[in-house]
Amino acid sequence: MSTSADTVSMGGGNNSPSIRAKVQAFGGFLTNMVLPNIGAFIAWGLLTALFIPSGWMPNEEFAKIVGPAINFLLPLLLAITGGRMVGGQRGAVMGAIGAIGLIVGADIPMFLGAMVIGPLGGLIIKKFDGLLENRIPAGFEMIVNNFSLGILGFLLMLVSFEFIGPVIEAANNGITVAIEALVATGLLPLLSLINEPAKVLFLNNVIDQGIYYPLGMQAAAEQGKSIYFTVASNPGPGLGLLLAFTFFGGKTSKRTAPGAMIIHFLGGIHELYFPYVLMKPLTIVGMIGGGMTGIAVFELFDAGLVAGPSPGSIFAYLGLTPKGSFIGIIAGVLAAAGVTFLITSLILKMDKNTEETEEENLNESIEKSKAMKQEGKEVSAASEQHTTQIEKISFACDAGAGSSAMGATAFRKKLHKKGIEGIEVKHYRIEDVPEDANIVVVHKDLLDRAKIAHSDKEIITIENFLDDPNLHGLLERLENVSK
Amino acid sequence: MLGEHLKGNVRFLESVNSWEEAIRESAAPLLENGSITSKYVDDMIQNVNTNGPYIVVVPEFAMPHAKNENSVEKTGISFLQLQEPVMFPDDKEVKVLFALAAEDSTGHLDLISDLSGVLMEDEARDELKQAKSEKEIIDLINSVE
Repeated sequence: MSTSADTVSMGGGNNSPSIRAKVQAFGGFLTNMVLPNIGAFIAWGLLTALFIPSGWMPNEEFAKIVGPAINFLLPLLLAITGGRMVGGQRGAVMGAIGAIGLIVGADIPMFLGAMVIGPLGGLIIKKFDGLLENRIPAGFEMIVNNFSLGILGFLLMLVSFEFIGPVIEAANNGITVAIEALVATGLLPLLSLINEPAKVLFLNNVIDQGIYYPLGMQAAAEQGKSIYFTVASNPGPGLGLLLAFTFFGGKTSKRTAPGAMIIHFLGGIHELYFPYVLMKPLTIVGMIGGGMTGIAVFELFDAGLVAGPSPGSIFAYLGLTPKGSFIGIIAGVLAAAGVTFLITSLILKMDKNTEETEEENLNESIEKSKAMKQEGKEVSAASEQHTTQIEKISFACDAGAGSSAMGATAFRKKLHKKGIEGIEVKHYRIEDVPEDANIVVVHKDLLDRAKIAHSDKEIITIENFLDDPNLHGLLERLENVSK
Repeated sequence: MLGEHLKGNVRFLESVNSWEEAIRESAAPLLENGSITSKYVDDMIQNVNTNGPYIVVVPEFAMPHAKNENSVEKTGISFLQLQEPVMFPDDKEVKVLFALAAEDSTGHLDLISDLSGVLMEDEARDELKQAKSEKEIIDLINSVE
């Protein structure tokens, strides 16, 4: 277990764009796909908790919604959001078309599949549109756009029904079998060995929303609840840790831990306790101990939740607890908090001598965790820029015919030379620059006019329409993004 | 395309007294062959007065132009080379002018595309400043196209 602690401290001191940051950015991508749809998941969870045969008030009529909602509504929402993130509205449509092929072709709720096919559909239509860009004769845009999406979607539907669906179903079953085997052997608590260190490194969303939630949804569809929702989101261990710091920590943590506790336990923002673990990496042992205890207790009581508690607050837990699981869920959370509290208190007491430096340590590790979170965000921001940010560059001038046209032509040539694709470069009268342009390029003498018309856009000024340092800068930026 | 349009519209001058005169001289062939009206010439000058010397698209190269307000009969372009550079506002030196007249905002894009191709090349720019005859200019432009 001390190796886990080592991993944490090493990860914390790392400052190059790390694999962790990339994984974290991937987690951010998953989160962005899941988070906007959590409301629908909760709606489904409430419906299920209330009306299925084992629910609070069984109702055959209402229960009819349960199946279609989990099989169609939820995966389609994920696919639409994923598609939109990559390929805009057309990507969203493409993602949904692909997902319906998967859904009908598979026997299980296609959550993992939807999270793959959505972005894939978005990517396909985006690449295709990139190829056609500027090649569609004026007046034919609508027919070309509609039929390209229609035909590609038709093909994607068939391919995902025949090929992608079975592959994802097999992979999905593989993971399920592996984790179920773990459950069967009673070793499910071992997951905490991975979960807790990963959480502190801000990888919580990757494991939760990438793995446990989709699995949980499948299990919940069959059994009305699932333990997978609880394995990484239990607020108990964090509560225990912060309690231990409240009683036995140094001056600073004594002062700050109670506030963090409220936000963590009631608000479900687990990030609040991460700095405390990073400050004393050995306390990860307490977190793992608590996590394991929690899972073991949930297992013992055969408890589970009906949907993913997002955020992992005690309120979300209780709100999503089905009939018959309350004792188990509450016991699991409290037992986890208790065990973590005991272990962490012990560690803190043995470690009293370092108290003077603690203040600095806490501040340092708060900085550290901010930096880690930021790093992941930057990686995902960079990749988002690639997908959404710079798609339209408008060169503008007074008449929209002369120098702007020259600038746009020359810049298109440069993009082409560099092999950068998918960026529309056009020329306009300043006032006619379209709303969806990302960047406006004008001569510096026209900056004031451009500012009035386009206060919301990034404006780049140039003095030389063909070879300006600012255009070099822009070109470099686009080049970096497209890599 | 650009080469075609420049035929008969290429001029060489020792020097001019002002940037206004440079624009007038550069547009003279277009005025003479009826592509533009004299109002268009005034508009080109007015454009610089209003919006600044942004028509100096690359150092030493200007592309005078204005909006077509019933002042352009036919899309066209003309060339003027000066031995002595003329000063545009903001102390911008200009030795070569391409006066551009466009009927609408799309019909002349081939011209612009060719022109930007030429002006993007350092060597071509040097040759434009030094060429001595219309043939040299047109050959150079055709070679870049």
